[in-house]
Amino acid sequence: MPETRLPEQFRDLEQWMAWSLETEGERSDHRQASAMEDITAFYEAMLARMDEVLPYLEQFNLEELPDDARHLFYLTLSLAEVAPAVEQFGQPSVVDGYDIKRFVATHR
Amino acid sequence: MTTQAHNRDSGTNSTVWHEAYPELGTGPIPIEPCISAEYFELERERIYKQTWLNVGRIEQLYRPGDYFVKDLPVCDTSVILTRGRDGALHAFHNMCSHRGNKVVWDQKGSCQHFTCKFHGWSYGLNGGLRFVPDEERFCDLKKDRLGLTPIRVDAWEGFIFINLNPTPTETLTEHLGELGAGLEGYPFAQLKTCYAWHTELKANWKVLKDAFHEAYHVPFLHKRSLPDSFTSPDNPYAHAFAFKLYARNHRMSVFGNPGHQPSPVELLAHRFGASIVRRDWEMADLPPGVNPTRSPFWAFDANMIFPNFDVFVFDGTYLTHHFWPLAPDRTLWEVKTYFPDARNAAQRFSQEYSKVLLREALLEDASTLEATQSMLASGAKKEFVLQDQELLVRHGHRVIEDMVGFYRAKA
Repeated sequence: MPETRLPEQFRDLEQWMAWSLETEGERSDHRQASAMEDITAFYEAMLARMDEVLPYLEQFNLEELPDDARHLFYLTLSLAEVAPAVEQFGQPSVVDGYDIKRFVATHR
Repeated sequence: MTTQAHNRDSGTNSTVWHEAYPELGTGPIPIEPCISAEYFELERERIYKQTWLNVGRIEQLYRPGDYFVKDLPVCDTSVILTRGRDGALHAFHNMCSHRGNKVVWDQKGSCQHFTCKFHGWSYGLNGGLRFVPDEERFCDLKKDRLGLTPIRVDAWEGFIFINLNPTPTETLTEHLGELGAGLEGYPFAQLKTCYAWHTELKANWKVLKDAFHEAYHVPFLHKRSLPDSFTSPDNPYAHAFAFKLYARNHRMSVFGNPGHQPSPVELLAHRFGASIVRRDWEMADLPPGVNPTRSPFWAFDANMIFPNFDVFVFDGTYLTHHFWPLAPDRTLWEVKTYFPDARNAAQRFSQEYSKVLLREALLEDASTLEATQSMLASGAKKEFVLQDQELLVRHGHRVIEDMVGFYRAKA
């Protein structure tokens, strides 16, 4: 049983908690270090639930997210992170792209 | 809509833009300014030390006492920006009047005064010298003349500009000209959430800048990240539908494909906000300088403010580029993308998608530049060959040369 939990109706997504990451840097690192089949599995699992996830998250101000909703929120940010890998590139990194390690984010 | 009608309506195939600006010519332009150390030094002296430069946003100096530091190696200095107790903006060289040490060492903060760590000299937010330890040991110390060295500073639509020339040849308003006037009223101040990246590239600053001043590369370099956002079957080469050149600034209005097919996650993101590939449709009253031809095919305007500041305005979001020269073949590139503060977590997800997609496209943009620079340095070719839709590249090189005078001096 994982220590951090998702809201009750989204517990099926708890197997993806490794993607609950706070910063763009962490999410990007995790994407770049993951195999494409794992990225795709996470993408498909999340996409299948987003019609329920987004209205659920819409009820919370960003500053007032309960812990369980915050982890669900981080999973959606990871979905945004991996979407181009699945939808555009068919590989974890940008095809023939500039080294993302050199493209430094100063935001979270 | 038939293909012909579409072409005519979008105006992307019917206009020959260089005919409107015959003084620019149509021939090739020299590569030398992108590799020459002599040219680079002239750019520093005659452009960067003489011109208004954007160094930040007013939100970085929200309250009296707020400050930030902008290092400007291209101008051989470091600059302190402050908001004084009276609310006025100030800019100073970051240099102690005593023995020349750098006064402020952190990048930003809030304070009542600045104290040099070398011998404890202290300066107010307005730059005035306030306190000198062991003052009586100095002979004839004229404290009122020993403040921090001021730099001209002004703001426009919340953007803070400085000018290293103590007697600028033009005001900031004159520098921004009609391009600036046309953008006034765009809700820059409402788009407060900023996501920023930076990188140091081994390429001349003009090689970077030129990469963003034409859309010709879109169907090739961005065939994966943006396969149909800025191209269509009727506009396969991403022809921009409007160009406007001013004295040194310029603008290109970029075509957006109304038939763009969003990906599954993009579709989810679109429910909660604007992005670089979708208009918000909430901004009814765009100022006259935004989508100036009021085209239904408008995606965004690429506004370039001389010499190194780009402001790309979309409907509901905007982004900026700064290209800071470091060496003839090195540039610090800063990108910032701005959104309204997310009202809830779903809207924040939408912004995340937009910024990640932008980042991926930027990683494609940056991918060719170091290789390009290395080949420019080979000297195998002496000229760039430009087409009509690369008008801004041509104009950009021309206005730089007009100030640098490298070829004028040799003629």
